[in-house]
Amino acid sequence: MTLFFLGLAAILAAGVSAAVLQRRPVVAGRAFALLVSAGCVLAAVPAVQVLAGAGPLRARFGPWDFGIDLLSAAFLLVVLGPGLASAWYGNRALGDERDRPVGAARTLFALELAALALVVTARGVVPFLVAWEVMAVLAYFLVIFEHERAEVRRAGLVYLVATHAGTLALIALFAFWAGPSGGLGFDALAARAAALPAGGALVLWLALLGFGLKAGIVPLHFWLPDAHASAPSHVSALMSGVVIKMGIYGLFRVVSLLATPPAWWGWLVLALGIVSGVLGVLWALAQHDLKRLLAYHSVENIGIILLGLGAGALGISYGIPLVATLGFAGAILHTLNHALFKSLLFLGAGATVHATGTRALDRLGGLARRMPLTWVAFLVGSAAIVGLPPLNGFVSEWLVYQALLGGGTGPIRLTLIGVAGLALIGGLALACFAKVCGIVFLGSPRSADAEHGHEAPRGLLGPMFGLVAGCVLIGLVPTLAVRPALAVGAAVAQVPVTAAGAGVIAALTPIALVSIGLLALLWTGSVAMAAVRRRRPITEAETWGCGYALPNARMQYTASSFAAPLLATYGPLAGVHEKRSPDSYHSHAHELVLEGVILPAWEAVRGALWRLRPIQHGRLWVYLLYIIAVLLLLLLYIGVAGGTGGVAP
Amino acid sequence: MAHLADLLLLLVLLSGFLILGTTRLTTCIRGVAVQGGLLGLLPLALQPVPQWTAHTLGLAAGTILVKAIALPWFLTWAIREAAVRREVEPRVGYIASMALGIVAVAVASAVATRLPVPGEHPILLLATSLSCVIMGLLVLATRAKALIQVVGYLMLENGIYVFGLTSVDRVPFLVEIGVLLDIFVGVFIMGIVVFHINREFDSLDSARLTELKD
Amino acid sequence: MTGWALAGLGAMLALAPLLPGVAAKTKALLTGRRGAPVWQLYRDLLRLWRKGAVYSTRTTWMFRLAPVAGVVTPLFATMLLPLDCRAAVVRFAGDFVAFAALLALGRFLLVLAALDTGSSFEGMGASRDAAFASLVEPALFLGFVVLALGTGQRSLSAMLGGDAGTLSWGAGAPSLAMVAVSLFFVLLAESSRVPVDDPATHLELTMIHEVAVLDHSGPDLALLLYGGALRMGLFAALPVGVLVSRAGLAGPLALGALLAGTVVVAAVVGVLESSMARLRLSRVPQFLVAASVLASLGVILQLLT
Repeated sequence: MTLFFLGLAAILAAGVSAAVLQRRPVVAGRAFALLVSAGCVLAAVPAVQVLAGAGPLRARFGPWDFGIDLLSAAFLLVVLGPGLASAWYGNRALGDERDRPVGAARTLFALELAALALVVTARGVVPFLVAWEVMAVLAYFLVIFEHERAEVRRAGLVYLVATHAGTLALIALFAFWAGPSGGLGFDALAARAAALPAGGALVLWLALLGFGLKAGIVPLHFWLPDAHASAPSHVSALMSGVVIKMGIYGLFRVVSLLATPPAWWGWLVLALGIVSGVLGVLWALAQHDLKRLLAYHSVENIGIILLGLGAGALGISYGIPLVATLGFAGAILHTLNHALFKSLLFLGAGATVHATGTRALDRLGGLARRMPLTWVAFLVGSAAIVGLPPLNGFVSEWLVYQALLGGGTGPIRLTLIGVAGLALIGGLALACFAKVCGIVFLGSPRSADAEHGHEAPRGLLGPMFGLVAGCVLIGLVPTLAVRPALAVGAAVAQVPVTAAGAGVIAALTPIALVSIGLLALLWTGSVAMAAVRRRRPITEAETWGCGYALPNARMQYTASSFAAPLLATYGPLAGVHEKRSPDSYHSHAHELVLEGVILPAWEAVRGALWRLRPIQHGRLWVYLLYIIAVLLLLLLYIGVAGGTGGVAP
Repeated sequence: MAHLADLLLLLVLLSGFLILGTTRLTTCIRGVAVQGGLLGLLPLALQPVPQWTAHTLGLAAGTILVKAIALPWFLTWAIREAAVRREVEPRVGYIASMALGIVAVAVASAVATRLPVPGEHPILLLATSLSCVIMGLLVLATRAKALIQVVGYLMLENGIYVFGLTSVDRVPFLVEIGVLLDIFVGVFIMGIVVFHINREFDSLDSARLTELKD
Repeated sequence: MTGWALAGLGAMLALAPLLPGVAAKTKALLTGRRGAPVWQLYRDLLRLWRKGAVYSTRTTWMFRLAPVAGVVTPLFATMLLPLDCRAAVVRFAGDFVAFAALLALGRFLLVLAALDTGSSFEGMGASRDAAFASLVEPALFLGFVVLALGTGQRSLSAMLGGDAGTLSWGAGAPSLAMVAVSLFFVLLAESSRVPVDDPATHLELTMIHEVAVLDHSGPDLALLLYGGALRMGLFAALPVGVLVSRAGLAGPLALGALLAGTVVVAAVVGVLESSMARLRLSRVPQFLVAASVLASLGVILQLLT
């Protein structure tokens, strides 16, 4: 634990240094990078040790109780790896800022990293909730960095309201769980788990609400697309890659403390997983804004993680250790993988936005020539998120598939519904990322913005390729990640690791062989084809326009037209509103929950409350009368209730 | 013989999906005709050949005659008379209808395994029966045209017919009454339809039936 | 064991180009023409391989990578199929996920190559290709679910080969039939056949797969055509494998039956193409969802027994 706290101290020092050295930007940048790197590496060491098999760590300072067990270790790596990459990227990107408070942005980012690390290591309700709230509020300030834009402020406000609703649910959760006299340590909660009424039904519902709001489970995702799209890209990367995973961590922690969640909860999580996954990717497909699209994909991937989590919970409920272990392991691994490739994608998107100044898909195009390295990084991230071999997304989806199909006999076999859901999600995600990659990077530039695109500087490419390395490594050598994930899964399910069965472990070598072979053959095939082409007469010409002689960039397929056939199939679910006239076409993707439910409900509530406005008119003596009236009412209540023995005076 | 019965029941289900998924009126009618024919063969498939009685054979012949030949012909005639050869025009899309259909089959199957029906029957028999009823209701609810609603009604009837087969030994003539009801109701509905057509050539839309209310 | 699996791999790689030829020949014979010989595709491939190529100045390396991936990905997918109805060259728990994902990788790169040209026609083809593929994916996986449920196994080799578990003709017949038909639908969609797509169409606006590879020429087109034939072989081998592996054959006999079966399937595709037109584009999703419905019925039947 000492190393962990040392690392934390270094991260905090990075934050302080950024605040102190504001006047000397170059030194500040270097100091920040150095200290954050040192901090993340130091803090990650104990996590790796725990995952490698050294027992759990613990450190207590009164009620401030912290520890690293297998679950915490896995999530600590999720925080520190992508967190470090985002910090580096942000450090470099902020270096170009002129008018905004760069030092404060760096400080807030470092503090956010520290808060995240504390959330996953807290072992008591008090440190957990404090760290949680610090994390949530800091994220708000990080999101509204470009606060001069109205839509950024609105996104921040919606986020703030949503996250506090979530915190409220969490406070209620722990209050009910701990009871009137119970201890507030997680160990005490675990001991009380069996005594919870109705198998902890209330706790589980509150957990879904509180942690679901953070994770962005449909229909609680409504704040997410705006917030993630409006933040600076390195913040988006951290929010989408890491912060929403704290919701997943919370669900995992609740499950592991409860030990045996009831079956209905597993089914509910599984169903929410399918809904979040399918709707998330469908809504992503409808987006015209690069970063909003990526944000919706986070909703989709949370769905995939929930499929694993739900299967795992069902595995416990029905007493099938194989399903429990595989489900949890798949969910954990997908959490890590999504943190890697979603951060990568947001950083890549940040680089394109940085280079072109626009997030509108239909204004981009042809960037593969102008920013070849960013393109490679973005392509790897895209292939990984779609779940294609030889990358990491495939490995975790493979695990989740195994869990969904692993269910012995009886009702748990119905987890196979998730197989169909996951297959549908996979197909839609492929279409969506084909759209993003194709429209943004391939073809010809669709606007002057895209024509002026230029390669990202090395300081931005470095973190991206660090994440690329992570994606490729887990894909090519799945043992590295799958074995620890299985250990974590087994720990959460409280079964021995061997419960995962020999089949999964035995499969790791052939998967590695296929992945490496695939990459090797693609490489040699390309080289061989290049040799063949050298021996053939090659002509270069304009793209064949089917007889039309003067094709131009505006004739290319657009993002909207690419997605149209799929969206048409899903009808109103896709939330696309079209405006057609003879000479123009405009389509807009509605956020169905926010614009369809939350805002109208908010308006209704506000309208109702507006009628109470007359009570507040600024005359002091009337306010005093209010106070007296309330006092009298209270006394009256105590008098009446006290008479029946309800309330002690 | 059980396999043959299973196969027939499966085809009954598939014809249901054909009706839910097709865009054409005529295919709908063909689908319900095929369904009727399959149902006619079902009593034969449920019993081995030596146990066939005149009752079984009569039932099969009657069912095929009514459900597979007479009613579809009647419906086709009605289409020709009213000159409606347009598409189905569903209120709920074809894909959504099919998806709802498969949900219906899944639910029906789950219920069928728990239903306390006396006697030995293939589970698929009960599942098909319930599925047919739900799919019929689905067609009734989601298709606007009166003619297709007749098809939906027939599907519903077919479901009840299949259910009747489970008690054909214990309650004689139950199924026959069902088939007779078919004729009666079929003719009755056709009468309404034809009458309706004679009055208003422009529409067979059952939404207009609301105009009849007081 | 592995010997026959390797022989199967070789045979599939060598004979796959026959399948489009068989389909075309059947169609020709049924429509009263003599038609091209069944080995026409071999000739085409050779001719294209020797030709030069034209590259659009707009394209990047993606355009050149896609044809290679178009062959390499089905090649690896073939390695996962137990073509001798015993065991595949590579097999592991959950390899069906890899099978689908490998083919998805090929499609992903192909769609990107189409968008690389910046042609509106190829964009159109890419869009439709991606859209229809996403609707087929659940059907394919539901088919695997039936096999996995029936056999209690998690690898293609054990689902389609080995002793084929408990899922055999007899009690499992209805659900097996559903799966076989559903996989046949998947074949039609994945290898761009009537009623989803028409390989013989001449109008770019109505094409799907053909228009997505419009700009590829020479050796690149040869690779794409060969990869397409291989995909067709794979997806034909799936339903055939479902049926043949339950017949208790093994080794050379099973391999022979499987290969003969794929030829028969190709002929059935030809019969279908000569007897029906392609569907209107807006109706294709209905057809593809029907494949999923069939497979779901198979799953329900499997759960009932």
